[in-house]
Amino acid sequence: MRACSQVQVMDDDFSSRRESPPPPHVVGVSLCDSAPLLWRVEDLRSVRAQGLVGALLGSLPRTPRQNGRLGRPLLLLPEEERLLRERQTAAALPARRQDGGGAELVVQVEQQQEEEQQRSYEEQSILALEDRKSALLRAMTSSHSGGPGSGTGTEASDEALRGRLEDLDRSFTFPQSALAVQLSTARAGLSYCPEARAFLQADWPIREQHDRSWDARYQVFRDLRGRGFYLTSAGKFGGDFLVYPGDPLRFHAHFIAICSSLDESVCVLDVLSAARLGSNVKKTVLLCSPGTDGRILYTSLQWSGMV
Amino acid sequence: MNMSEESDTADVMENPPPSNWILHHPTYQLMKNLEVEDSEQLHTAFLVYMDLSEVRHWKEVSCVKSPELQLVLLEAREKEGAPVQTVLPLPVHRPLSHKSIRHVLDRGFPMLLCAVAADSTLVYQRMTDGLVTPDPPVGPFQDLGRRQHRKRRQQR
Repeated sequence: MRACSQVQVMDDDFSSRRESPPPPHVVGVSLCDSAPLLWRVEDLRSVRAQGLVGALLGSLPRTPRQNGRLGRPLLLLPEEERLLRERQTAAALPARRQDGGGAELVVQVEQQQEEEQQRSYEEQSILALEDRKSALLRAMTSSHSGGPGSGTGTEASDEALRGRLEDLDRSFTFPQSALAVQLSTARAGLSYCPEARAFLQADWPIREQHDRSWDARYQVFRDLRGRGFYLTSAGKFGGDFLVYPGDPLRFHAHFIAICSSLDESVCVLDVLSAARLGSNVKKTVLLCSPGTDGRILYTSLQWSGMV
Repeated sequence: MNMSEESDTADVMENPPPSNWILHHPTYQLMKNLEVEDSEQLHTAFLVYMDLSEVRHWKEVSCVKSPELQLVLLEAREKEGAPVQTVLPLPVHRPLSHKSIRHVLDRGFPMLLCAVAADSTLVYQRMTDGLVTPDPPVGPFQDLGRRQHRKRRQQR
């Protein structure tokens, strides 16, 4: 909110000279048990623009039986969620209430559907009438062109045509059974979520583990993100994060980041296996630890090349 | 000639090198004088010394004590005139912390970690400060073209 007001001030003073940046988009985070999920497309877009990748979890309605391309929701890493919170660009969407909220929502949706159908019916009946009239005209004029071309004949047929058109106007009804019903496949539920900008320090449920390893991971995440790297989870490679020099859609990862505190000991065997894996997949293993002065210390582990 | 050879072999048969030859080795004695109380690490350091000097023929291999880590470190040059590198010899089942690695890196020389197994197999890992981009995959790269992709898809 503070950021918004600052932007306002700038707008008044420098409106002619400077383009004030729009206030940062606040994404709505849904909590499923403790997993932070994003459902709305504008939220996903905003989050990607901030350099946070997340992981898509849902199946695509048109290609459900595959894992290659997944759809919404987007699952955020705990570090990504915390970063959004610190930047104040995430808000918790209110959890759906058990009975009241659900019933209201259903009624609302039904009402909207009925209104839409009514509108559609009216439009379609107008179009159907026009269709009938043009068909009639065609039929009359074609029969007329085939028939005798005398002047009196045309006048008479014109009269008849006008008469029949007026009859049509009066008596035409569009039967309900002929109505073409349109079913929208977009999830109606999502657009009904109210905007809830509840700032969150008080509201956010206390799910985080306040242990040092989590803190170390977050410090490393924030530092690397600040340097412009994109990070995703590295479960497949036995590390904490995969570090990409740019968007993962365009680059391969360069590093496997393993976060620990400076004093934490690991067995030399584990260091060896991590280094070996890294060299097999052409990535450098990065040992990351928050240092004493707030900086992060990085040590790159590589195959020595000594056979 | 034959006689001398026979006598040489006879000598060897009668005076095999003592089974604890390592303990009598001058470099081992040197390392021992550094008074690092970890005898296992001492032994490991000696094995790495032998590997570097006798097998890989590195130059000016010397041992030095690290007071913070209470370990024996080795310094050596790969070739004449090459820069000095620090080698940290450790038995394979030892715990190692990032802090210890930073201590060795702070000495300012390129660092190698040498892990030694119980059967004396050694492996060297390079450790560098900062983010070192890995080597890119080796070319030349060929665009497979649609035919190959279609073939692969059908095979799957």
